[in-house]
Amino acid sequence: MQTLYLTLALFLLLTLGAGMWRVLRGPTAADRMLAAQLFGTTAVAVLLLLSQASGNAALRDVALVFALLAAVTAVAFVQRAWPEQEQPQETERDVD
Amino acid sequence: METMMVAWMLDSLLGLGLLWLAWRCLACPNLFKAIVLFVAFGLLMALAWVRLEAPDVALAEAAIGAGLTGALLMVALAQLQSIETNGDAAGATEKEERGIRPLQWLLLIVLPLIATGLGYIILSFPPDAPGLSTAVATHLEASGVSNPVTAVLLNFRGYDTLLELIVLLLALLGVWSLGGTVPQQAATPAPLVLETLTRLLVPVLILTAAYLLWVGAHAPGGAFQAGSVLAAAGVLLLLIGRHPRAALMALPLRLILVLGPATFLVIAVVTMLIEDALLKLPPEHAGKLILLLETTAMLSIGATLAALFLGGRRHTDKEHS
Repeated sequence: MQTLYLTLALFLLLTLGAGMWRVLRGPTAADRMLAAQLFGTTAVAVLLLLSQASGNAALRDVALVFALLAAVTAVAFVQRAWPEQEQPQETERDVD
Repeated sequence: METMMVAWMLDSLLGLGLLWLAWRCLACPNLFKAIVLFVAFGLLMALAWVRLEAPDVALAEAAIGAGLTGALLMVALAQLQSIETNGDAAGATEKEERGIRPLQWLLLIVLPLIATGLGYIILSFPPDAPGLSTAVATHLEASGVSNPVTAVLLNFRGYDTLLELIVLLLALLGVWSLGGTVPQQAATPAPLVLETLTRLLVPVLILTAAYLLWVGAHAPGGAFQAGSVLAAAGVLLLLIGRHPRAALMALPLRLILVLGPATFLVIAVVTMLIEDALLKLPPEHAGKLILLLETTAMLSIGATLAALFLGGRRHTDKEHS
């Protein structure tokens, strides 16, 4: 069972490579940010698998903290760092 | 055997990924991309700490490295860009780039020397050194907690934590002494989704902080991790434009900021008088004293980190204008 969990964790880590391509290529800041959010989700999954593999329940707490704080980074991006020319037209009309 | 193989592959992938990310992050000219790479680096770093069986450090890395720092860097970048569009900073950066050359050659010589030295030290370690862990395990009974990391941080070497709290306070004083910040672009009301998310997330963050504080007595957790989760709640509120009232920013904020270090100092002085040693907690009260120290430290750490995020003393600007 342990081998299965670790193999799945390894596979998830490899899928980060695909996300990394998005981070490096972009083209927009939002693409990069969403790739980072995907990394966060994958890291949560990897942590849960490692927690099962090693029987260490504390790793679930690490996963919990990851899941909660990923949202804060995303909000910081949307509220402060999202370049205005990138934002789609519809949302701007909605704000008015 | 197979498990060993897979674990080995996982670890080498993590190690190589970390090195590659660190290099890309430093070499990247696009600052936003560098921040995203830094966040990804924090994620992998936390996973690496987990693989090294240091869940306490992983928790701290998850809360600070991947969570708060990402948001802090993002806002710093936004302010930097608004400064750059206001004043012309392009000429200055060009000059800096030319000046770096000789320094790079120096680094090329110094860094391999440091790497060789560190490699030599690591290779000269005895393969199975218990370090101080046996000493901690024998005295764990008297520490008042059953998590060895908390026992070391709050009891056996409590003065380290005291000094760390003061360092954090000094960092904030440093930021405050730099004066006012760049005026914020007109605060737009937060969209409904964001408002709802914050309403749902802030109570959960506060609950999680309390949980991490409590669980620190017998499992990974503690004041710093709990404090950064609490700070995340504050940062979220600041991000959607819920600034605390100016009256709260003056005296009450300062009281919370010094609450942790002050409690620590009081206990340090009292133990000095009663037990003749700085922060030597009496075993029968150690559990309660640690909980008190950690609770006040968590509040101070949370407030300090959120105040660092807010930056310069904006409330005084308002008073002047």
